[in-house]
Amino acid sequence: MRVVAIALAILFFVLGILYGLGKINFFTQSGAQHAHHITHLVVLWVLALLCLIWARFQSAPR
Amino acid sequence: MTLFQALALALLQGVSELFPVSSLGHTILVPAVLGWHNLDRSSVSFLAFVVVLHLGTALALVVFYRAEWYAIVRALVASVVRGRLSADRDERIGWRLVVATIPVGLLGLIFEAPVRRLFGSPAPAAFFLMINGLVMFAGEALRRHQRRSAGREDKPIERLSYAGSLAVGAAQALALLPGISRSGISMVAGLLCDLDHEDAARFSFLLATPVILAAALLEIPRLFVPAAHVVLLQAIVGGIAAGVAAYLSVAFLTRYFRSNDLRPFGWYCVIVGAICLILAREGMIT
Repeated sequence: MRVVAIALAILFFVLGILYGLGKINFFTQSGAQHAHHITHLVVLWVLALLCLIWARFQSAPR
Repeated sequence: MTLFQALALALLQGVSELFPVSSLGHTILVPAVLGWHNLDRSSVSFLAFVVVLHLGTALALVVFYRAEWYAIVRALVASVVRGRLSADRDERIGWRLVVATIPVGLLGLIFEAPVRRLFGSPAPAAFFLMINGLVMFAGEALRRHQRRSAGREDKPIERLSYAGSLAVGAAQALALLPGISRSGISMVAGLLCDLDHEDAARFSFLLATPVILAAALLEIPRLFVPAAHVVLLQAIVGGIAAGVAAYLSVAFLTRYFRSNDLRPFGWYCVIVGAICLILAREGMIT
């Protein structure tokens, strides 16, 4: 599960960058909505952070 | 926008954001009923004004629950550092809030813009306000049924399951529909997950804090657009008024839900929603 959590964290992190750069436009009104892209970037990075926390919970000593 | 309109909208926002009667629905319906056609809800200045109102509301919630948030954040950080969950009450509440916030954030991100575009007029807002009232009646009835027939008992927030937290968060996302109340729908979901009214309200307000605050913070760049500066005074007055109204509302509601339920708000939503729906269908409000 730790590997899955880290893989997901990397995926969300990269997706966040792509949204921030405007390379991906799913769920945004149009390519020009810069503020909306930043919102996606922040939410995806928060998800990446949560995945890293999940990984941490998988790896700590019991 | 006049200063009077700004003040009225701010008080309306501060109160209706926390009372289970839909702030979004009211900010569509009240200007329509009062004939405030000078307000362009899609203009840069109005959006900037709304950002400040949300900031005021969120800060009021943070101030009201400051001791609780301090304990929750401290417990969450300690839990991550330790890498293990414990039985600590604040930590358990904190993780439930995190889990419940995920569906709100994701569904909000995907559906907010299309939903606002489709339903951002008085008739749908009035219709959904009626639905909001009916949901509260149905929630109260279902809860009574659960307790009578299945013998289920109330439990505190820290004993809410993660699936229950996720359900409360997903229910809260329905508040993207103008007329559906964020606090109302999440309280109903909390009640159906065996929280009592007081805890359902507390969980709903705690859950609303990061959502409203994040939504407002993400929109802060709108305040620095030159077109937004024309409402600077209105925004400052409005932000303070919304914050004070929200603080007083949460103080009142936390006391109210110690011994009362959602039905009075259900009646209000059904009656006001029905009247506004009739007015909208007759073309008297647009």
